[in-house]
Amino acid sequence: MAQTFPRWTLKIPLFLALSLPLFAAAAVGGVWYYFSPEYTDVGYRPKQPVPYSHALHAGQLRIDCRYCHASVEQSAVAVVPPTKVCMNCHHVVLKESPLLEPIRFSLASGRPMQWVRVHDLPEYVFFDHSAHVTAGVGCRSCHGPVQEMVVVQQTEPLSMGWCLDCHRDPGPSLRPLEAVTDMEWVPLEGHAEFARQAIEERGIAPPTDCTGCHR
Amino acid sequence: MARSTAAPGAWEAPAYWRSLEQRADDPRVRDHYEREFLEGASEAPEGLSRREVLQLTAASVSLASLAACRRPVEHIVPFVQAPELMVPGIPRHYATTLPFRHEALGLLVESHEGRPTKVEGNELHPSTLGSSSLWMQASILDLYDPDRSRALLAAGEPSTWEAFTAAWGDIAAGLVQSGGQGLAILAESFSSPTLARLQRDAQERFPQARWATWEPISEANAEAGASRAAGVALVPDPHYERARVILAVDSDFLGTEAGVVLATRRYAASRAVDDASPSSSGMSRLYVAEGIHSLTGANADHRIRVRSSRIGAFVAALAAELARQGLGVSAPASASPVEGVSAEQLRVLAADLLAHRGESLIVAGRRQPPVVHAAVLELNAALGNVGRTIEYRIPRHRQESGETLAELVEAMGAGRVETLVILGANPVYSAPGDLAFAEALSGVANVLHLGGHVDETAAASKWHVPRAHPLETWADASAADGTLSIVQPLIAPLWDGKSEIELLNLVAGGEDRSGYDLVRQTWSGLLGSEPGSESFESRWLQTLHDGVAEGTAEPAAEAPVSSGALQELASSPAPGGGEGLEIVFAASPALFDGRFANNAWLQELPHPITKMTWDNAALLSPATARTLGVENEEIVTVSVEGREIELPVWIVPGQADETVVVELGYGRTGAGRVGDGVGANASVIRTSRSLDYAQGATVRSTGRRHLVAQTQDHHGMEGRPLVRAAALDHFRDHPHFAAEMVHTLPPSTLWSEWTYEEGSHPPPGVRERVAVDVPVYQWGMAIDLNACTGCNACVIACQSENNIPAVGRDQVRRGREMHWIRLDRYFSGSEDEPETVFQPVPCMHCENAPCEQVCPVAATVHDAEGINAMVYNRCIGTRYCSNNCPYKVRRFNYYHFTKHTPEVVALANNPDVTVRSRGVMEKCTYCTQRINAAKIAAKREDRPVADGEVRTACQQACPAQAISFGNILDEGSVVATHKRSPRNYGMLDEVVYTRPRTTYLAKLRNPSAELAPPAAPGADPAHGATGGDESDAAAGGAEGHG
Repeated sequence: MAQTFPRWTLKIPLFLALSLPLFAAAAVGGVWYYFSPEYTDVGYRPKQPVPYSHALHAGQLRIDCRYCHASVEQSAVAVVPPTKVCMNCHHVVLKESPLLEPIRFSLASGRPMQWVRVHDLPEYVFFDHSAHVTAGVGCRSCHGPVQEMVVVQQTEPLSMGWCLDCHRDPGPSLRPLEAVTDMEWVPLEGHAEFARQAIEERGIAPPTDCTGCHR
Repeated sequence: MARSTAAPGAWEAPAYWRSLEQRADDPRVRDHYEREFLEGASEAPEGLSRREVLQLTAASVSLASLAACRRPVEHIVPFVQAPELMVPGIPRHYATTLPFRHEALGLLVESHEGRPTKVEGNELHPSTLGSSSLWMQASILDLYDPDRSRALLAAGEPSTWEAFTAAWGDIAAGLVQSGGQGLAILAESFSSPTLARLQRDAQERFPQARWATWEPISEANAEAGASRAAGVALVPDPHYERARVILAVDSDFLGTEAGVVLATRRYAASRAVDDASPSSSGMSRLYVAEGIHSLTGANADHRIRVRSSRIGAFVAALAAELARQGLGVSAPASASPVEGVSAEQLRVLAADLLAHRGESLIVAGRRQPPVVHAAVLELNAALGNVGRTIEYRIPRHRQESGETLAELVEAMGAGRVETLVILGANPVYSAPGDLAFAEALSGVANVLHLGGHVDETAAASKWHVPRAHPLETWADASAADGTLSIVQPLIAPLWDGKSEIELLNLVAGGEDRSGYDLVRQTWSGLLGSEPGSESFESRWLQTLHDGVAEGTAEPAAEAPVSSGALQELASSPAPGGGEGLEIVFAASPALFDGRFANNAWLQELPHPITKMTWDNAALLSPATARTLGVENEEIVTVSVEGREIELPVWIVPGQADETVVVELGYGRTGAGRVGDGVGANASVIRTSRSLDYAQGATVRSTGRRHLVAQTQDHHGMEGRPLVRAAALDHFRDHPHFAAEMVHTLPPSTLWSEWTYEEGSHPPPGVRERVAVDVPVYQWGMAIDLNACTGCNACVIACQSENNIPAVGRDQVRRGREMHWIRLDRYFSGSEDEPETVFQPVPCMHCENAPCEQVCPVAATVHDAEGINAMVYNRCIGTRYCSNNCPYKVRRFNYYHFTKHTPEVVALANNPDVTVRSRGVMEKCTYCTQRINAAKIAAKREDRPVADGEVRTACQQACPAQAISFGNILDEGSVVATHKRSPRNYGMLDEVVYTRPRTTYLAKLRNPSAELAPPAAPGADPAHGATGGDESDAAAGGAEGHG
C-alpha cells in the first residue's frame, strides 16, 4: 500500500520542535519590544503649529529653560509659555516672519495656541516637575538633548520601569542644583562621590511605592 | 439598665441593630451581612443575554485594539496672556461667602486654573470656623449642574438681556407714574446689606408696591417668638459649648435648623471629655423632646417622644415643674400631664436644669409657634441662661418686614397684582397646596422670574432670567453675629446669569449696573469712605482676602423679657385631636426645601436616620404602622383637607406614635434630569395656616408597592462589637471599657508585623549605599465617635474631593453605591425608643490588610507610610479584595459611571485624582493626593511636614472635629494623642487582627443616673449581627421603670 504521507513529513515534528521555541521567543521578544514605550513612544515628534526650534533658542541663543517653562521650580507642570512670552522678543525680532503668523494671530485674536504634547504620561500618573528639579535632576535626564532638537521629540521611554530605574538609584541623574537647566553639563569625574553627598545633603528618598505617583 | 452602677464585668454592650428587619432576624436582610455583594449585584444589566454580552465584548475588543494603533494626540493650550499670580498646576484659594437663606456661610474655595473645584469652610469666618456642612460641600456640583437655566426666556422663547431691559423699561415707566400700584416683589429671606439697601430703594421708588417673603422652611417662628417676649426683633444665638444641660424641644439644631455648622462645633465642644483624666471628665447632657426622629434626637442622652403639637404643653408642664421646684417663673401651679412624658422625667429634667442655672440651655425648633419660643426665652431668662449660654442678636440687613405668601396670593386673587417680580423663590413648587399659587399666578399679567433653573415657576412666568450661582456673583451677606462678608465670584457666569442684586437694582433703580459696582456702593456706606479712596480700597481688599470684614461683629443685644407666654401656653387648649393623624412637614436633611433637588450627590446621600436615598416617604412609628396595617415600601395615600399625595411607607424606630412625617424637597417637576420625579411633593398637602404640622391627616394604603433604595443594611458587618459606647459614669470607673469589651487570646498572625522604621526611607538600593536622614511618616486616623453627630458632611466632602460618582436609585438598590466613607447608623434598645449611634467607616488601612493577600495582580498593596494603596491601572476587577475585606469599604465600578457625564459636570472634578473607569475597585486613599502635595511642598522648602498640614477631606469638613489625621510616629500630633486615649479601639482588631490604622474613640453618653433609659415592655433583645458575642443578655436592660 502506498504511503499516504510523503517521507518528508516525518521531519515535521523535528522541525516544529526546533522552530516553535524560536517562534515563541520571537513572539515574546516582539511583544516585549514593539509593544513597549521604548518602541512606541521614543522618537515621537509631532508637527507643531509653529516650527519652533529648541536648537535655535536653547542651543544657539542659550536662553535658559526657565525663561519659557517658568513654573518648573514651583509647580507640578512646567508650562508651555503664554503667547505673550513669545511676543516679548518677537515684537522686535523677526516681526514679519510668515512662520510666526499663528503667534501673532493668537495674540491679536486672543485665541490660545494649540501645541501638541510630546511628553505625555497616562492620566493616572501624577508627575511633579518641581519635586525633581529642586532635587537636582537635570531637564536633560528625561527630555534628552533638547538644545539640539529642531523638532522636539521624545528620547526616553517614560515608562514606569524607566522611572523606577532612577527612583531606585537616583545618583547618576543628580547634578549640582545650579546645573539643572544646563543642557551641556556633563558629570565630572568622581560623580559617585558627589551623588552620595548630594543624596545625603538633600535628603533624597525617591518614592518607589505606588502612591508616590498614582493617586 | 446596668450601665452606671454595675460592677466590673457585669457591664455588657447593648445589642445594636441597623434595621427593624435585622432586629427581627428577617432572612431577607441576612444576605446583607453574610455576603459582600448583594444577590444580583454582579449580574449584567437586564435585557442583555449572555450571547449579546459576548458579541459586544468582541466588538469592543476589536475596536479597542484598532484604537490602540494610533497614539491619541493631546494638546497643550497655554494662556495668550497669563493672569497675574496664577501658576498652572498650583491651586489657588479664595475666600467668599455662600448666602444660604439668611445665613452667611464663609467659604474658602479651591480653584484650579480659574475653575473652582472644592469648597471648604473659612477658618476666619464666624459661621463656619473652617468646617462645612453637606450643603456647602455640595454647592460646587450645583455650579456645574448641566440643567441650569442657560438663556433668558420671554414667554418660553430664548431672548436677550437687552430685550428684557427694554421691555422692563416700558413696564417700569407706567409703574413709576402710579407709585408702584400693582407691583409686587416676592423674595427669599436674605441678610445682605446690598439687597437690604436695594429693597429700601425699591420701596422708595414704588411706595405702593407690595413686598412679600417666602421661604418654604423659615425661621420666622423663632424670630417672632423672641420679638414677642422682648419687644424688639431678636435672633437667638445659642452657645452650646457653655452649657452643661441642654434641652432641645422639637429642635434639630445638629441637622436642619439654621446655623448647623456652628451649632455642631459648639455642641461637640460641650461633649469633649478629658481622656487624660477620665475620672474628672465632665460633659454636657442633652435632653431632646421631639416627635420626628431627628439627627439631634439621635444624639440625645435622653430622648422624650412628644408630638410636635404637644411640645407647647410639654414646655408648660416643665415650667410648672420648675416653678414647683422653686424657680421664679410666672407659670401656673399645675399643668395637665403630657402624653408620653412621665412625671418622673419632668422632675429629673427640671431638677437638672435647676442644678445648672446659668449653665443650662433650652432651645426650641422652627416648627414650634412663636409662643413656644417666647416661653422658652422666659424659661432661659429665669434660669439665668440669657447672656451666658444663649445670647440674642439684633438681625441686621434683613428684608424689611413684608407680607406673607398667603397675603400676596390673596392680593393676586383679587386682581390687585399686575406685575410680579419673583427673586429666586420657586413658589409654584413650594407654596402650600391650599394657596393654589399657580392658579393665582395665571391671573397676573407680567410675571418676572429669576431662577437658577427653568423650574416650575419659570414655566409659568412671562419672563425668566437665569440666576447666577453664588460662586459666579458679587454680593454680600452678614453672619448671625453681624460679621459682614463679601461674596466674590470664582468664575464668570457660565450661562450669563444675573444675580438678584442686579435684577432688583434694575427694578428699583431702573438702570442696569454690575453687581460689583452695586456691592461697592453699599460698602462705601458701610465703611464710610468713597470707592477709590485709599482707606476704602485697602479695607475692601483685606475683606476680600480674609472673607470677613474685621471688627464688624456686634455685641449681643439686651433681651428684656416680658412674661406672659408661659401663662398663655398653659391656658391654650390642646390642639383638637379629632380624627386622623398628626402630620409633620420636615426639612429634608439632604435636599433641604428642594433647592438641591438636582444635585445627585445629595439625592444619593443616605438619610441620617432612615438611610433612604432618592426618595421621601411617609414616615411612621412602628406602633402606628401596625395600627394602620401598613408595612415598609407599601404605597399609601396621605391626605390633608382633601388634598393628597402618594408616598411609600417607611417605618422609623423612635418616632412619635399617631404621627406621619413627610419631608419636603422632593417631587420636583422642573428641577432637571436628576431631581425630576424623585419622591412626592409634600407642599401639596401643606396648609398656609399651619405650615409645619397639622392635625387630621389620613393614611390609606393603595395596595401597591414602591421599592425604596435604602442602605441601612448595606455593608453590614458580622456580629462583633463594631461600635462601642458607654455611659460617662462607666467611663470614669472603667476608662478602658472599649478595649475590655472583647476578650480574645493573644493575637497571632501568619504575616510579618509592620515595621514602622521603614517609613519614607529611601528604597533598599539607596539605603545600602547612603545614610539618608529623612522624615519618617506613618499616617493614621482616629475618629472620635463621641464627637461625631452623624451629619454626613464628610460623605459629601469625600465625594467632592475624590471624584466619586453618583450611581442612581437602581444601582443603590443593588448595593453599588460608591461612597468611600459611609455612616453606619445603629439602633439599640426597643423599637419605640431606641438609642442611636453613628459610626463613620472609611477604609481602615489595615497593617495586616486582608485585601492585599488575595489580589492576584498586586493592585492593592501597602506603601511604606502605611497606606493601603489601590492601583487602578493594575486592577482587573476580580473583586477578591472586596470579598476579603471585613469592613466592606471597597467599592467596585460595575459601570463606567462617568462615561455619560456631561462635560460641564466634569469641571467639578479634582484634577489631582484619577477618574476611575469600569471594572476597577476603589476605596478611601487617606486623600493621598493631599499627602503628596504636602510632602512635595515640604521637600521643596526642606522641612518636615508639620502636624495638621495634611488634612483629609472628611477631616477638614467635619464640623464636630471628630476626625484627626496625621503622623502617628509624631508623639505630639493630635492623632497620636487621640490614639493614646483609653477610649481608643480598632474595629474588629481583636478578632481578625488586621491592625487598622483608622481607629475609633468610643462613644460616651451622659444619661442622668436618676432616669433609666426607657425600654419597651416585652421588647425582645435583638439577636443582631452586630450585637457582640455576649450581648444578648444586655439589650434593653428592662429594669423597673416606665
